[in-house]
Amino acid sequence: MSEQVQHAGHDHPEPGFFLKYCWSTDHKMIAMQYLFTGMAMAMIGGFLAYVFRMQQGFPNHYVPGFGLVTPGRYNEVVTMHGTIMIFWVAMPVLIAAFGNYLIPLMIGCDDMAFPRINRLSYQIFLLSAIVLLGSFLVKGGAFGGAWTAYPPLSASGAYNLTPIGATLWLLAVALEFVAFLLGGINFTVTVMNSRAPGMKMFDIPILIWMIVLATVIFMASAGPLIAGAVMLLFDQTMATGFYDPVRGGDPLLWQHLFWFFGHPEVYVVLLPAMGIVAEIIAVFARKKLFGYKSMLYSTWGVGILSFVVWAHHQFVAGIDPRMANVFTVTTLLISIPVAELVFLYIATLYGGSIRLDTPMLWALGFLAEFLIGGVTGIFLGSSGTDIYLHDTYFLIAHFHYTFVPIAIISVFAGITFWYPKMFGRMMNETLGKIHFWGTVIPFNVIFIPLFMTGMAGDQRRIYSYAQFAEQSRPALQHLRTTSTIGLLVMLSFQLIFIFNFFWSMRNGKRAEANPWRSTTLEWTVPSPPPHGNFAELPTVYRGPYEYGLPGRADDYWPQNAPN
Amino acid sequence: MDFGEVTEAVMYERYITAASTYAHSIDHLFLLIAALVGFWLIVAEVVLFALVFKFREKEGQSTRYITGEEKELHRWITIPHMLVILCDIVIIVPAILVWYNIKQAQPPADRTVRVYAQQWAWSFQEPGPDGKLDTDDDVRTVGELHVTVNTTYHFELMSRDVVHSFAIPSFRLKQDALPGRTITGWFRPNRVGTYDIQCTQMCGLGHALMAGRVIVETQQDHAAWLMRNSNPSLAAQPAAPAPAPESTTMAEVRR
Amino acid sequence: MREYKKLAPRQIALWTSFLILFGWGLSGCGLGSTSAAMRGQQLFQNCVPCHQVDGSGNPQVGAPNIAGMKAWYVQAQLQKFRAGTRGMHFSDVEGMRMRPMALSLITDGDVTAVSAYVETLPPVKHAPTLTGDAHAGDNQFHLVCASCHGTNGEGNADVKAPRLAGVDDWYLATQLRKFKAGIRGNNSKDIEGRLMRPMARILTDEDAIRNVMAYLDTLKP
Repeated sequence: MSEQVQHAGHDHPEPGFFLKYCWSTDHKMIAMQYLFTGMAMAMIGGFLAYVFRMQQGFPNHYVPGFGLVTPGRYNEVVTMHGTIMIFWVAMPVLIAAFGNYLIPLMIGCDDMAFPRINRLSYQIFLLSAIVLLGSFLVKGGAFGGAWTAYPPLSASGAYNLTPIGATLWLLAVALEFVAFLLGGINFTVTVMNSRAPGMKMFDIPILIWMIVLATVIFMASAGPLIAGAVMLLFDQTMATGFYDPVRGGDPLLWQHLFWFFGHPEVYVVLLPAMGIVAEIIAVFARKKLFGYKSMLYSTWGVGILSFVVWAHHQFVAGIDPRMANVFTVTTLLISIPVAELVFLYIATLYGGSIRLDTPMLWALGFLAEFLIGGVTGIFLGSSGTDIYLHDTYFLIAHFHYTFVPIAIISVFAGITFWYPKMFGRMMNETLGKIHFWGTVIPFNVIFIPLFMTGMAGDQRRIYSYAQFAEQSRPALQHLRTTSTIGLLVMLSFQLIFIFNFFWSMRNGKRAEANPWRSTTLEWTVPSPPPHGNFAELPTVYRGPYEYGLPGRADDYWPQNAPN
Repeated sequence: MDFGEVTEAVMYERYITAASTYAHSIDHLFLLIAALVGFWLIVAEVVLFALVFKFREKEGQSTRYITGEEKELHRWITIPHMLVILCDIVIIVPAILVWYNIKQAQPPADRTVRVYAQQWAWSFQEPGPDGKLDTDDDVRTVGELHVTVNTTYHFELMSRDVVHSFAIPSFRLKQDALPGRTITGWFRPNRVGTYDIQCTQMCGLGHALMAGRVIVETQQDHAAWLMRNSNPSLAAQPAAPAPAPESTTMAEVRR
Repeated sequence: MREYKKLAPRQIALWTSFLILFGWGLSGCGLGSTSAAMRGQQLFQNCVPCHQVDGSGNPQVGAPNIAGMKAWYVQAQLQKFRAGTRGMHFSDVEGMRMRPMALSLITDGDVTAVSAYVETLPPVKHAPTLTGDAHAGDNQFHLVCASCHGTNGEGNADVKAPRLAGVDDWYLATQLRKFKAGIRGNNSKDIEGRLMRPMARILTDEDAIRNVMAYLDTLKP
């Protein structure tokens, strides 16, 4: 890729390794670092999933590549899978990698508003990842008290038996939040101030809007959690009693602070994913997005409502039962803007000319699977059924039907779509399609059985159901084994993606500037974009989705074309 | 919210029995939601796949330029949207009713039991033949809760250390136990048998091993069990907690 | 738009993927067979969070020092925990923590294997945590305990009396209090525990317990 770097308008000497990789303030370099760090963490998270699914599917057998899964190791693996996949895969890849890469290119400027803060953000993020992975090696092992880290379990080494691991976990999460706060400020400021001349608010591509909204939601919700994390850190290390009822504290305080962040967090990662899907659907259906403004207002609605639903995670946590009524209403209300968004996406397909290339397959796969995740949320948001389904595998399956589309399917959509821009080569289509079907079909094989075990009462975070007569019946074990086999197949097909990803970097067909015939600004620069992005900063004349305009020779009209 | 004695009505009752009075109301709420969201799911997926099939790229096909602001087209969004709101209301009302009956309204208790959660065991304190708690004939058990069928029980739930969750899937009962708090709830078993008690909140190393049983007995069996276990020699056991070793910081038993 | 570079090694890539998939499946077989000693060491990972890697225990969580404890005793106690004849009393907070962990050993063979591993751990001697009159304790010990536990507290497998020398004093004191209160040895099937209860009652007060502990602290393991 380096042979293609053109120094448009700049004449820099080739920097050394340190300056190039550790000190570069180029948004594309930082985005690539976020992307590769996130992908490496995803492999670790996937391996952890493999370990505990093997234990679930074939209880008390040696897991190849891991060994015997003891209760302590199981807790560790489950906790770390959750933490890594949410904080170190979904967040860095969806927001930081795609945000960093695409914001300057899509709004038509040369770099982020604060390039050095951007660099600092990645350095802190990398440090947080190292701290988290380092916690596997300390005495007692990594934290095993679930990714929600409820005190008093997380607050005292005598309870969780991993005193060092628990503190490192907390430090890593806090550091990671600092990194994303820095990144979030940067994204918002850049989009508000550095847009190309002529790009009005409603000319901003929907993906950029969604990333900005996601970072705004993140910044508004992370504050309480960071405060809570500091208090938990004090409880762990300085014997304070913020969450200790004996000394006047309250364990529920953490749950409120955590979920006040934790629920908006779902939308923090959902919105960029939906943005990626929107861009791809518009390009491959050759259609203007159906109701750009409705989409934007619905997104705002989701963002605002996401702040008033958090207690639906705590229906049976010992809060006043009357609160559940309020939060049931708000939770079901949020289905209205989300349903609106999905309807608008589907409506965009109407009257289009749909090309089913790999990115489009992923985008449609996102819609089809996310719908299942969305509707199963209603069961859990209704306080009445949540009494039974709370913390069962039904919840696990629902959650993964939303998060796998978000963090896996939409990321594959994004990577396959922008790959030509990022690396200047096309990915192989055949391998891409094999990978798509090899991921989406086993994904359903994994989680549909888990809906059933959840309805049968399987509670989560259990390494072996041997102690529970109702749960250790063969019928349920068959379902768990089916799910595990699904995971093995799905993981195996990821090897095809990894091969395709690296093979195409050198051997793929060379990509032109605009291989998908798209209208947005990132496709007006060479692939890959040179340092400084635009040889001449563009001027924007129209909105981002002008496809199939009657009376024009081309079926698309780029944003920067004067006529 | 009881829809009547429609046993084995809900798909998951193939896997898990319904052994309390409110189990069926949760199951029927589940069924109602399943019907409504199942309808939406099928409609949305069918429309999605139909559109992809109908408008896939063909020779000489041109796309239609639609902004989505047109009134007659936006109708196709607005009308389903209104229907979604209607469905939400149809779900919210029974959901809150079921919740109200199970968690808010507490029918008067016939008996009261105390449930202690600790890492990683359930222990129970039941009134003896006199029916009162905190008297000498109380029966204290570990891992096994004996209850009488068709009797309304209140439980006082406490935790000795971390957050646990007291769950009996067959009763459709779930309630977190918090240290420093006593949480009261109720259940009324209506089917004799032995059912699992789970902990559904991560509580540390032995979370998966924190199992208990609830044994629902007939009136006579339960009375006989009480007589066997509440004899004076056992009742004379000191009710005090285990004396904590001086160096132990966590053996605080909170009452 | 529709033309893509044909992938020459496509077949190779596909076959490689499927071979890896196949190999993955195969690797699951055959790895389960290991020797009993290996098995014991691996199962001991269940115990490490509380009893530490060297088995020296953690008084913070009430976990005793088990390094070098005789296999027959470890096995007997694990089986009691599993059967619910120990760690099933309403007030036995530590016992109720231990019982589920014992239940994580599914087969009797696993219990034997892990017990054998515990015996191979080199004994660890901790500094005394209790103070008392060792001389008075000496007399008490020889009057009450020595007949079963041996004159030097070395234990006697024939009467199922465990070694006392070298065991943490805080742990022994706690267990004596539990025996006295009927929190341990309360189950009719725990024969040794039931025999121990009247013996523990002979140590009438805290001072007597502390004195015996002070004496035991002077013994070599």
